[in-house]
Amino acid sequence: MSRVRYRGPAGTRLNRRRVLAIAATAGVGVSVAGVAGLSLAGENEAKDDGQPLVISVRDASKGTIDIFKGGSKKTVTNKKLAAELVKAAKA
Amino acid sequence: MSSHREAPEISKDPVADSSDLYAFVSPDDPDTVTIIANYVPMQLPASGPNFFEFGDDVLYEIHIDANGDARPDVTYQFRFRTELRNDKTFLYNTGQIKSLDDENWNRRQFFSVTKVDSHGKSTVLHSKLPCPPCNVGKISIPDYAKLAEDAVAKLKTGEKVFAGQRADAFFVDLGSIFDLGTLRPFQDKHLVGQSLFNYAGKAVNAVDKLNVHSIALQIPLHMVRRDGKKKVRATDPGAVIGVWTSASRRQVQVRQGDKKNADVEVGPQVQVSRLGNPLVNEVVIPMAQKDLFNSLEPKEDKRFSAFVEQPELAQLLPVLYPGLFDNLAALNKAKTPRADLVAVLLTGIPDGLIDGFQNTTGDTKADMLRLNTAIPPVKAPKKFGLLDGDLAGFPNGRRIEDDVVSISIKAVAGVTFALVDAKFKPDAAAGLVEQGLSIKDASAPLLKKFPFLGTPFDGFNNP
Repeated sequence: MSRVRYRGPAGTRLNRRRVLAIAATAGVGVSVAGVAGLSLAGENEAKDDGQPLVISVRDASKGTIDIFKGGSKKTVTNKKLAAELVKAAKA
Repeated sequence: MSSHREAPEISKDPVADSSDLYAFVSPDDPDTVTIIANYVPMQLPASGPNFFEFGDDVLYEIHIDANGDARPDVTYQFRFRTELRNDKTFLYNTGQIKSLDDENWNRRQFFSVTKVDSHGKSTVLHSKLPCPPCNVGKISIPDYAKLAEDAVAKLKTGEKVFAGQRADAFFVDLGSIFDLGTLRPFQDKHLVGQSLFNYAGKAVNAVDKLNVHSIALQIPLHMVRRDGKKKVRATDPGAVIGVWTSASRRQVQVRQGDKKNADVEVGPQVQVSRLGNPLVNEVVIPMAQKDLFNSLEPKEDKRFSAFVEQPELAQLLPVLYPGLFDNLAALNKAKTPRADLVAVLLTGIPDGLIDGFQNTTGDTKADMLRLNTAIPPVKAPKKFGLLDGDLAGFPNGRRIEDDVVSISIKAVAGVTFALVDAKFKPDAAAGLVEQGLSIKDASAPLLKKFPFLGTPFDGFNNP
């Protein structure tokens, strides 16, 4: 999905928005996305404060959770957290 | 478009679909190598109101292996960003576009260039370079060639770079080849065609008058050779480089619907397309593994070597053209591994098989376009390249003029097997077979200098 930057006559950009979205895939997966800003080039990934974060429950029964942030992916195991996320998705 | 729409998944993602890769010693500057990676294939010139562009959400890369391990020693990364000037109009341009910063040009695209070394260290070579517009038509863009020329940038580090729309110069008779392997010049010899035709047909360039989006680099040779030497002999292993291109997308995408500017792309880059030698994923790799092939790096290609050693196309030729490929049929029956094709596609051709030539990168089997950078360009390229004694042509790298379709068919038909087995006599048809096209069947003339691919076909004259 291409994101276009709008530059008005004075060269100003659209204001940044912050969105929290919860999406669940059928059965097993749960994703939580916290979004801030329009960073796209991927060349400033070290400056990660406020960057989008996506959590995906890959296997709720084992508590396997993938955490995506910037250009990285980390996997943690936390059955309690996974169960809570699944519960939140069903709410 | 030797690799356009070549795999099921990437055929649905044209923005990330690598269609052709060229690598050759530059005829306009023989101390440099020109590498061109084409994406976004099969563009109709009349494509308004939303003209073609690179993907802002795609990481495009050109990789160069200098030491034969099938891992990149130098990678150039290209990231794109689209900007709108005017959010009150539906138009791509609200008047004539006469310069790259023309106020009338509403939707512009810019790109950054990052160089990554063998240790993974990244250096941004330029953070914002302009692409030229698409060639809307002569009413909107009176001097397109000048605009495109202005979009060629010389980086402080010595490379030239260009990214934008070009006329596709590939030539292939897609319509006949994928209609049960028919080659129109030999249609009356075809298993089915012989009952339909009693004459040789004339080939049709199915991709003529279509455009692509090209990423072109011209790099001083010493910057890509393993020892950094400015001069090397053609016999020197350090003269050979391996080249491939890839496109990747973030692992996670979250779409926000009407809040489009809040869409999220995070996670590691996942490779969705790659291209080294032409036609490998297109006609060598089985359908069931094409998407897998696109997701892997060349260093993983050993797993695909069986398809090169016993290519399906070699089995088909004697069946599709009865009586013309009997020697090939015997070779197939003996199940002799095609060491010639392994050399051409996966390891490079070792010294001693062709006088004055080698482009081997060692034993690591990897699909890379291998270029012996010490072989100078020729004034009159021969379309069958190395097979016709033109050492500067495919499979020594790949020039725009090379008829890689015919070269590949000839090689698979057995012409190159004689290089590794002197007792093998190729069928007469193997030397004669070709698709029947040349660069002259690509209507847009090539440029004599970088980026070489011609002015894109404009929408006004090519509706």
